[in-house]
Amino acid sequence: MTKQMISTATEQVTSLTASLTTGLKLGERYVQLLDQLATATVPTELLDAAGQLVEFDLNHAYVKFPQHYQPEDYYLLLMGRLLELAGIGDFAVKPDPMHRRLAMRLTTFENDYTFCFEQKRSRPGAFFCEQTDHEPLFNLDLAHHSLQFDNRALVDFLIVKEIANHNDLELQGVVKPLVAFANLLVEQLDFTINLGILATDNAAQFKLAAPELSLTVIDKLFVQTAETDTVLLSLPQNNGAKLALASDTALSLAFDPDDYTKQWFFMVTDAKAQLSFLDVLLHYPLVRDWYLANRSALAIRDDQFAYAPVDEHVVVNSPATDAEPIKEEAPASAVEEEDGENDA
Amino acid sequence: MISETTNGAQPISQIINQSIEQKVNYLQELKQAVANHADQAIYALLDQKRYAAEIMHREEKANDTGVMTLVDDLTAQLSNYLSTKLINYLSQAYPFFYYEEYQLGHYRMYFGNWWDRRQFGELDVLNIRFVFDQSEYAKLAKSFELAQAGQRYNGQRIEELSKENDRLQALIDSADKRDAKKEELQAELKEASARNGLFESSKNRETREAIVAKLSELENQDEEARTAAGKIKANNQQVLELSKENTILSYERKSIVDTFGSFEDFELANRKLYASYLQSLVADGKQVEADD
Repeated sequence: MTKQMISTATEQVTSLTASLTTGLKLGERYVQLLDQLATATVPTELLDAAGQLVEFDLNHAYVKFPQHYQPEDYYLLLMGRLLELAGIGDFAVKPDPMHRRLAMRLTTFENDYTFCFEQKRSRPGAFFCEQTDHEPLFNLDLAHHSLQFDNRALVDFLIVKEIANHNDLELQGVVKPLVAFANLLVEQLDFTINLGILATDNAAQFKLAAPELSLTVIDKLFVQTAETDTVLLSLPQNNGAKLALASDTALSLAFDPDDYTKQWFFMVTDAKAQLSFLDVLLHYPLVRDWYLANRSALAIRDDQFAYAPVDEHVVVNSPATDAEPIKEEAPASAVEEEDGENDA
Repeated sequence: MISETTNGAQPISQIINQSIEQKVNYLQELKQAVANHADQAIYALLDQKRYAAEIMHREEKANDTGVMTLVDDLTAQLSNYLSTKLINYLSQAYPFFYYEEYQLGHYRMYFGNWWDRRQFGELDVLNIRFVFDQSEYAKLAKSFELAQAGQRYNGQRIEELSKENDRLQALIDSADKRDAKKEELQAELKEASARNGLFESSKNRETREAIVAKLSELENQDEEARTAAGKIKANNQQVLELSKENTILSYERKSIVDTFGSFEDFELANRKLYASYLQSLVADGKQVEADD
């Protein structure tokens, strides 16, 4: 707008029309991006549209758009479209008129789960949350092209709360499309992802958050195996224990004997590399009960991506110095801290 | 005068010659046996008397200490050399024992490959026998005995600790009740005290003293309750240790029963180990000959 004094009616009209035009153009651009997000079939175009929409400021002094979506909805739309294009029909995005938003529901089995994205101050991107407990299962950050699962939230949601209501296969059915989505982001859009305790690679190490582990905790598991067919074995170099869960499946709790820090970690090995640490917790009550009873000692560390401010290359931040876990499972996590915490 | 003959029979030089010849023969035989990895022959040379008795079933042969001490300085090396075949055999016969050579020719034994398995003694390779750790062995024997009576090794101790924990927990839980009772007693005491003095009746004094005694008992319970949480934790830790020992013993018993059928048969096999092993070497030797 001009700083000059508007002296004549014509000048005022011209000024108004100019302002209205920018407002309308803003609306036009918004419609264009929405359209792109709803109809494009190329993943990069979908990401481009969603990325712009979450940053889009639709506020204008002269032109109002009372009907519009919230940034959280664009994350959900993007996710829904990518899954749809990949033929993964486990989730459906539906309008949720009561809350004036979009919501995602599982189509694979009867349940009341509703998922939405939620934004939090001080943390980039948005969190995929189930709407009863608002556990932030993963963070999706379009600007940094990253997706990270939250180990604490996954355990709290699936292992602590939902295991009582659903069997292990049903709960795996919740996790499966989420992992598929994360993998889509890697394959189609070159995202960096952190699967956390959902990683199925046999070499994946699920590191403990606590800096030290009392062997008493392993003793407890050993004693629990006494009445079962499962034997807890000592590792050959006395660097931990290994639980044979099935003929070709084992859970190890170990440290690298050559590593002076003695960082303890879980490993899950199975012939087809299909099982994650979460799967073990879901399938084996022996491990699950022991894990939950000793969670402060056994909680898995959440490695957070940190972003260099200038070139924004993703680097993995090792939170080894965050020695004092305030909350279980998430010593380095700022996920559920509503008040701003510096993510250095 | 020094004579060249003993009792006029053999000249000394002849005795020396004979003795040296025996030693040379012995060493040559041993050398040959080592070259061929003929372990059975090595064992025969290292303990002739035992070999004769247990393998040849002849009692008459006495050990010729003159030749056998010749390789005394090689025991560690011989033990290491002979361990390969022996441990190979033992891994079949006693699949639950594991060995660690902690210095040349010296082998620690572990019972099992499970968590916190026990070190169970040593393997004496040259004598083909287990040198069990006596206290660990006694635990296992006792555990077998108790198992026959349907009892667990640390069962009684665990039960005592659990009961003690229940008692301590009850003390913690009843703190409020005690507080109420104390208030009640204090009021009673105040009333009784009002009537004391020079002319206090003996009945009143008795009442007063009884109240004081009750109060002090409650104080004692309070005192115990204050430290109860720590004791419960310590007891739980002890229960865990005892349960762990039980678990280890149950795995050990299972291993022995799976392989030998019973503890007695296990002990019998240990006593016959020397003969069983060397006979297996003979059988293997024949097998090799037959294959040729």
